Amino acid sequence: MKEGLKMIAVLTLICGMFSVTLASLKEATEGRIEEQVLTYVQGPAINQVLGGFDNSPVKDRMKFTIHGSGEQVTVFPALKEGQLLGVALETFTKGYGGEVGVMVGFNLSGKNLSGIGITTMKETPGIGARIAGHGFTSQFKDHSMAVELTSKGGSIEGIAGATISSTASVEAVKHAVSIFQKIKPQITQAWPSGS
Amino acid sequence: MMSRLWKEFSKGLWKDLPPFKVVLGLCPVLAVTKTANNGFGMGLAVIFVLTMSNVLVSIFRKIIPPKVRIACFIVIAASLVVSVELLMQAFAYPLYQQLGIFVPLIVVNCIILGRAEAFASKNPVVLSAADGLGMGIGFTISLTLLGGIRELFGYGTLFGTRIMPEHYKPFSFMIEAPGAFVCLGLMLSAMNIFTSWQARRKGQAALDNPSHECRSCGICSR
Repeated sequence: MKEGLKMIAVLTLICGMFSVTLASLKEATEGRIEEQVLTYVQGPAINQVLGGFDNSPVKDRMKFTIHGSGEQVTVFPALKEGQLLGVALETFTKGYGGEVGVMVGFNLSGKNLSGIGITTMKETPGIGARIAGHGFTSQFKDHSMAVELTSKGGSIEGIAGATISSTASVEAVKHAVSIFQKIKPQITQAWPSGS
Repeated sequence: MMSRLWKEFSKGLWKDLPPFKVVLGLCPVLAVTKTANNGFGMGLAVIFVLTMSNVLVSIFRKIIPPKVRIACFIVIAASLVVSVELLMQAFAYPLYQQLGIFVPLIVVNCIILGRAEAFASKNPVVLSAADGLGMGIGFTISLTLLGGIRELFGYGTLFGTRIMPEHYKPFSFMIEAPGAFVCLGLMLSAMNIFTSWQARRKGQAALDNPSHECRSCGICSR
């Protein structure tokens, strides 16, 4: 009996001690990890979808609340000489192998997409993973905001054999478009617009 | 004392070199050594986890009841690995992206549990630290070496700088999984040839029993 109690006590003590340590370490590194993810995952995607800016979209990012749903979304602005050229925002949808993250760039003057980039995905290598390839993403460059796959009467050609992955990315873009349209007034208020 | 310390430290560097002599912890050895850099980064993470887990296990060795010792060792190792993962994400994100799933998998690396069970749970703190550090450094050197060889032939580079001439056509087999096995096998056989040559030169019989290699794990001798 005494041995049993000791076992429970020691194991509880050790687990408790390490939980406290880990929780405090997680808190201490949280901000820094977010910054690193922004630099290494979202930063390159933003550079791919927006062009001609002279600011740092990651540094100038701002959080907006969507009217109605109360959802928060982070918007990355592309500024040139202080004037807003476009914005990028990231959305997620469910793909074949987990979440697909898509960074969607919007051109403010042309009222079209400036491009998309895949930030995170775990799709099947060689098949679904081709959504991250230039061949697929470049179709969205300067595309109108109405995106749809050719199989559904649109103009985006999906990847053969990867319907789920292709649909997921198009859905993510559509979701981003709907968010963009909802928060557009707030965006143009937040940064001075060029045109 | 000093010589004992050195003995425990240096056995990880050659006599009980983890992946090649004791052949432990092969999963990360084969999986992350596509480049020398990855091998080195993985090795550093293992040095940290192994040394710290040896020290902690050794500190708690007197209060841990034998029946729940494995659970305690795993809690210690897992906590350390999560710390490494967090620190790596915070300060070396590109390396974290490269190593991916293999960082959390350090928990189940047999070297960690092996050293905790066979050494740290029976020895004082300083010796356990020396043992962990030595084993970790040996592991790191092995991983860097294997990664270097695979990177050199598979990409034609070493630590990211070009070594092979421009017209060298990368031997991409080397950076695939089968290449890892072949490369490891060749290194193991080279080490065995060297060891038996050394033994013969010293006038001893060639290795007819491998006892001094596997005795170190301590499981059979109990």
